[in-house]
Amino acid sequence: MMQRREEKTLFQKFFGTMDWALVLALLALLTIGLVTVFSATLHYGRPEKFLLTQAMAIGIGLGGMLLLAGFNYQYFRPMLPYMYIVSLVVMLAVLVGGTAVRGTRGWFNLGYFQFQPVEVCKLMYILVIAGYLDARWRDAKKFDTFAAGLALMGGHVMLILLQPDFGSTLTYFPVTLALMYIAGVEPLYLAGVILLAGIATGIPLMTTFIRLQPALLASHPSLQYFISATGHFGRAALILGGLTAALFIVWWFLSQLKFRISLLYPILLSGIIVAGSFGSVVVEHALRDYQRKRLIVFLNPELDALGSGYNIIQSKIAIGSGRIVGKGLFSGTQSQLGFLPEQHTDFVFSVVGEEGGFAVAQLTILLYFLLVWRAMKIAQEARDRYGSLAATGLAIMFTFYAVINIGMVMGLMPATGLPLPFMSYGGSSMVSSLWAIGLLFSIHIRRFTH
Amino acid sequence: MVWQQENRLTYEDFIERHQLVILLISALFILLSLRLFYLQVLRGGYYRELSEQQRTHVVVERAPRGVIFDSRGEALVRNRAGFVALFYPFTQGTAPSKVVIDKLRAILKRDMGTAIIRGWRSGQAVRLADNLTREEMFLLQEQRLVLPGISVVKESRRDCQSPEAMAHLVGYLNEVTNADLEKLEDEGYRAGDWIGRSGLEGVYDVALRGQHGGWQIEVDALGHQTRLVRRIPPLAGNDLHTTIDARVQRVAYEELLKSPTGRGAAVAIDPRSGAVRALVSCPGFDPNRAFTREFAAYLKGKDLPLFNRAIQGLYSPGSIFKIISFVTAVNEDRVDVAAPTLCTGKFTLGNKTFGCWLKTGHRNITLIPALAQSCNVYFYQLGLHVGVTLLERYARIFHLGQKTGIDLPSEKAGLVPSVEWKLKKMHEHWQQGDTANMAIGQGPLWVTPLQAAQMMATVANEGTVYRPFIVSGVKTVQGEEITTFKPQVIGTVDVQEKTWRLLRAALGAAVREGTAHGCDIPGLSVHGKTGTAENPHGNDHAWFVCYAPADNPTIAIAVIVENGGHGGTAAVPVARRMLETYFDMHSTSAPVVRAVAVPA
Repeated sequence: MMQRREEKTLFQKFFGTMDWALVLALLALLTIGLVTVFSATLHYGRPEKFLLTQAMAIGIGLGGMLLLAGFNYQYFRPMLPYMYIVSLVVMLAVLVGGTAVRGTRGWFNLGYFQFQPVEVCKLMYILVIAGYLDARWRDAKKFDTFAAGLALMGGHVMLILLQPDFGSTLTYFPVTLALMYIAGVEPLYLAGVILLAGIATGIPLMTTFIRLQPALLASHPSLQYFISATGHFGRAALILGGLTAALFIVWWFLSQLKFRISLLYPILLSGIIVAGSFGSVVVEHALRDYQRKRLIVFLNPELDALGSGYNIIQSKIAIGSGRIVGKGLFSGTQSQLGFLPEQHTDFVFSVVGEEGGFAVAQLTILLYFLLVWRAMKIAQEARDRYGSLAATGLAIMFTFYAVINIGMVMGLMPATGLPLPFMSYGGSSMVSSLWAIGLLFSIHIRRFTH
Repeated sequence: MVWQQENRLTYEDFIERHQLVILLISALFILLSLRLFYLQVLRGGYYRELSEQQRTHVVVERAPRGVIFDSRGEALVRNRAGFVALFYPFTQGTAPSKVVIDKLRAILKRDMGTAIIRGWRSGQAVRLADNLTREEMFLLQEQRLVLPGISVVKESRRDCQSPEAMAHLVGYLNEVTNADLEKLEDEGYRAGDWIGRSGLEGVYDVALRGQHGGWQIEVDALGHQTRLVRRIPPLAGNDLHTTIDARVQRVAYEELLKSPTGRGAAVAIDPRSGAVRALVSCPGFDPNRAFTREFAAYLKGKDLPLFNRAIQGLYSPGSIFKIISFVTAVNEDRVDVAAPTLCTGKFTLGNKTFGCWLKTGHRNITLIPALAQSCNVYFYQLGLHVGVTLLERYARIFHLGQKTGIDLPSEKAGLVPSVEWKLKKMHEHWQQGDTANMAIGQGPLWVTPLQAAQMMATVANEGTVYRPFIVSGVKTVQGEEITTFKPQVIGTVDVQEKTWRLLRAALGAAVREGTAHGCDIPGLSVHGKTGTAENPHGNDHAWFVCYAPADNPTIAIAVIVENGGHGGTAAVPVARRMLETYFDMHSTSAPVVRAVAVPA
């Protein structure tokens, strides 16, 4: 009797408490992804080789996923400081002993295949930051909570930038900021960070974009002055000084009108603007010229139609030409004739759009939404704040990847070189995405456990 | 759900912010869906078209151009296969070696090295030689294996039969320029096409050119051919059927070439319809060689071979204008046909003296012999009786001073002066002497040989002015009628019956016993009038206009020999040979020019 009940409980534990909607979304995405990768690699010859490698990554990922689902995520909790140190050591190790692919030293060569440790490190980071914010929840509003959280992120981001792998660092910002916001960190601090980062990346990108349009530059002398200020300390100081003065004047006016605003705000705001402007010099140097172009050219890909804009133009043609029902599996002219670059990796969604049309592409977007939505529900139902924050972090990560990637292939977002989770060809991303799902299962399954 | 119950307030606070994040996430996914909807549903057609365009590439197969036939079914211009040597750099991984370039130089006898290297660098095909001889072609074919990227291609070329004689009539072709393409792109012209530049080739280019076909092939992103999608067969151009009689055209050209200066023009028109039987300008050129190096010689030629004298040459009509003076005077009853006038060889008007070509004078002469003998003194006085206003009006009724509207480009209108014209253009008043001069066809009076022929055709058919035309119909290769051109009456010369009767008598007399005696062909009654147009730049121009057979004319001819001297000696023999050819008569003995008549 006892034995039987035990068995039933185990069965219930594993299947009865399973999030079937999440499983469905995951399996559907994996299936669409595998078929699309097969189709996208047809014209390279030997598509079965790509299919097999991808299937193997899925196998490894699913195995890890089941293990993680069975493992209680709460046991990670006391190990988190060590986990953070381990992640830093791994990333240092890849800087020293890793292999470089296309100029980025971010891979470990494991003989048969190569592995990108950053993919696993970012999962560790999500657990670490969730645990940290949970531990500090009573002091969430304090500045040092915010500052230390940024420092945690900074450690990872710095090491990744040293590889350098700009794209991979991007996911850290939305995850960290969203988790801090939910954990109760002062929104004003977060707004300050967003503004700072916006200025620091906005200036180099806008100057790159303007430089792509010599005609525009020639007709607007003020733009020329703005551009020249980016490389000229005196002019930059003049512009920044003017802006700061304007801020204080506005503040003074408002205070005369009996709006009580602390003097701290204009001081902070001008401080952020100045810091962001000088931060832009760092970003400018961290990004190569082609990267800056790729990041901004989506606003008007025709400006560099055969260079940085080529991928976006071809991808938009591929997706748009799929129309409502698509050109049929294996029949996409854009993909099968090689007009689409990176069509089995970063641009895999354009193959979906071309061959499956609006029907399949919209279904894919809905599946991602279902997956993220379930992850957010798992977060709300988690048994502790730590699990809640971790699940939210994973959901934000998936959202970020899906939106940035699908937005990029549709010409809506900058080209960052981020893969589409569960679909893009590439082992590391597939494995880490499945492990992330494993963590979500682990949190979900234990929502009732005391 | 554990911590939720521990601290309800904290949890609700947490969830509130969490919901906000979910809202943000949902908004992002909605944004993606909207963008997808925009690209695939709203703009799908546009992008589908773009993807089709970029995946297919058309290899053009040029349509054979239509043939131009004469009225008897002889081809004036047709197509001939020519061989062209091309260098295609597309499959060449490395630049062509020196060995290849040296071999080519040995075969083609000129160095194409720089052109080949440049073509290879820029990825453009190079035309190595345009008109390969059979030997060159075979040599290239034999060496094919050691000459990578070089191929010999068959290309249809235009082949004008009797090129010099037909040159101005049929015109020539050359490759379309970028400027043409901007204007004509919508009509299907593409770079590399040939387009008619003058003559019938130019005017009827659209009918002649046909429609290109081609192979639509699918290419990949690198431009490599992956499969053949479909072949669109080219549509051959339509044939032109003209009213030209190639025999008359050729004879006219040969005779003009034999004339004293070898420069002149001849036009023959059917007075029953305005159909042009011959339209020759001499010297001619070879339209088959248009825009080759030899062609440059034509451009510089002192004899202006590219100038179409038949429709662009403006000449004083000289005595052939006496026909107009004659008609004016008789129809307006300003002359007594039987009253003789004394010709002493000169005529004095005020302080000016006008001479007759016959220095000894024609003595007492009446109207009809005066025209037959082309007496200037008689016509000076006749002109003064009639007055400039009537002369101008009748010249215009005969459609002088205006374009005939023939289907050839760049026709000149000529000039018929008037009192107002002189005042306006030269700021001088019209003098009596001007009227006298005009009556014998001198002064600021300009006609083209075509207008002279048209005038003669109007005389021949007694008053109907037809628009001269060359193309009678456009037919497909299968013979299906596309367009037929009907004779077009553009005016009538409504004069008294006696006017025609007297004029015909006078023109008949001119041939039988007058200045045009050289055209007196046994078995054919010809009516005609010679002219000798004074020319300030050199010897007189020789004119002859005529029609035959007199009782029912089927052909009217105008001939001019530039600086040929006397119409009777230089121009008449050309017309005579044209008539003999047209009426299938064996060449009769060379015309004997009577020593007496050296007409003006």
